[in-house]
Amino acid sequence: MDVLTEGTAEYLKVDPDGFREWVRDHKSRALVSKLVSEQEAVERLVADGDYFVFDCAEAMRGPMSLIREIIRQRKKDLWIAGKFTFFIPSMLVAAGCVSKADMGFFLGWGSVINKAVQEGTLKVYEYGNTVMTMRLKAGAMGLPYMPMRILGGTDTFRYSAGKIIDDPFTGEPMVAMPALNPDVAVIHVHQADVYGNARVFGTGIAHVESALASRKVIISTEEIIETEEFRRDPGRTSIPYYAVDAVVHAPFGAYPGECAGYYASDPGAIIEMGAADKLDAWDAYLEKWVYGVASQDEMMEELVGMTKLRGLIQRATIKEGYRA
Amino acid sequence: MNEMKKAVGTPATTFSEREYEICVAARMIEDGKSYWVAIGGGPLYAVLLAQRLYAPSAMYVTEDGVIGPEPLLPLDPLVIGVASRPNYRALMWSTMNGLTEHAQLGHMDYGILNSLQVDPYGNINSTWVGAYPEEGRRMNGPGGADAIASACWRVLLMVDQQKRKFVPEVDFISSPGFLDGSPGAREKAGLPRNTGPWRVATPWAVFDHDEDSRHLRLIARAPFVTVDQILAEMDFRPLLADEIEVLEPATEEELLILRSELDVTGQNTGVGRWVAQAEDGSWSFAEDNG
Repeated sequence: MDVLTEGTAEYLKVDPDGFREWVRDHKSRALVSKLVSEQEAVERLVADGDYFVFDCAEAMRGPMSLIREIIRQRKKDLWIAGKFTFFIPSMLVAAGCVSKADMGFFLGWGSVINKAVQEGTLKVYEYGNTVMTMRLKAGAMGLPYMPMRILGGTDTFRYSAGKIIDDPFTGEPMVAMPALNPDVAVIHVHQADVYGNARVFGTGIAHVESALASRKVIISTEEIIETEEFRRDPGRTSIPYYAVDAVVHAPFGAYPGECAGYYASDPGAIIEMGAADKLDAWDAYLEKWVYGVASQDEMMEELVGMTKLRGLIQRATIKEGYRA
Repeated sequence: MNEMKKAVGTPATTFSEREYEICVAARMIEDGKSYWVAIGGGPLYAVLLAQRLYAPSAMYVTEDGVIGPEPLLPLDPLVIGVASRPNYRALMWSTMNGLTEHAQLGHMDYGILNSLQVDPYGNINSTWVGAYPEEGRRMNGPGGADAIASACWRVLLMVDQQKRKFVPEVDFISSPGFLDGSPGAREKAGLPRNTGPWRVATPWAVFDHDEDSRHLRLIARAPFVTVDQILAEMDFRPLLADEIEVLEPATEEELLILRSELDVTGQNTGVGRWVAQAEDGSWSFAEDNG
């Protein structure tokens, strides 16, 4: 199969057989409780140097409590997938957690990313959001790459790890992107049982692909429910337990974002992230929202409070489709 | 321009440039077709306005995988997908990959996109301003625009009419137009056959691409600007259609829907300069509105 042209980016080693062996040796097919605290999940499963993928973002069903805990534990040298997000890449870079980023989309209001690239502490590779989710899909299928009909001919492609191949079946040029099997994924869901069976309601970016493609998977969940509930309506299971390594009970874990059907976003608190980015004031932001509190619970109690939460719940008036 | 529908309603005498751009794009939307719109912003409001006045059965999707929603407006700021209000009353909730696959299969007739910068061949930059990668600064990145520009049959681009946005060469091709404009350039790069840029709408003008050269061609102008004014706000010279149509002004009905139903906070439509028509019929720009 001839390679007609190829991008220049470094990419995470593609190794489907290695991934299978990891799954055999590290993931359990037994139904055992994986319920742990956010501190323990991050301590045990997020390592310095990991390739780290998070699904969704700060405005909608992002795993925000776990991202804050990763910063709190001062993880470093992460390689992040920056897709379908606004300020999280800048926040993680400002916190000193990141050394490489595959970028699809973020809101670059501030200068932290530019500065880190100029200073040589951050390398950025170019992608689109869907290119990243397709890479995850290949990873979730146990395959080495994904042929796709997008991105060819662009500078984004040129600075990605893609190749244009002479497709052996059609005889036509075809874009191929390396599969992505992240070291660790964090995903926020509506409901999970203690074993890691999980339900996501509504649309999603790549929660299923991220869970299946990643070596270590942490689920944070609004609600812990009985396994019996999954057995009553198995068609609504989004992620099977055997892909999951840890389950964290995290009510309001997507705050300041919305968790569709459960609570609305807190626009002021999202804009506070934007302001921190725009004004290069991440240190003060992180001190307040991350380092200054010991946990998600403490943040919710001290910085958010029941009155505000009641308002966010009250605004989530659309329930249809978001309840099993 | 066959695709431009006759404006519904009474001609208005005061509106913002952005409002007008949305009205013009809405009039180009075809009934019964599918639209993959950039998540949030002008493209979304164009299709919502069209559904109310010009194309009641136009269907849209966004990159989070929502298919055919009837959103509950207004939306929370920045909460534009994977959320209950934008995704209300949809026909299907899929995912980003689901939607990308539907587009690769040919189900998406049109894409509608915003762009920071565009070149004569409709190539789109949303990644970088300056000389990549050493000088300049990083912008947002393509997001879902690269998939929209690659896999929809036709793309309608919405761009501000500014010299720095219409450039002979974009600083970075984030999402593909006709690439170098040569025949088959997209297919040689692995993109689906017979796809590509269709129209570019700005607050002042509409362009298409010449069928042979693929070069941008001015085909219509707003009633409140001249062709020379448009050309002065471009850093290259577009081709000119033999006859350049004069577009109808925004109408009271269009503006009422935009302002009272779709974007009540003015977050998307209340930007750009205001245009006003005097009693003698002449148009002028108000002071900058930020």
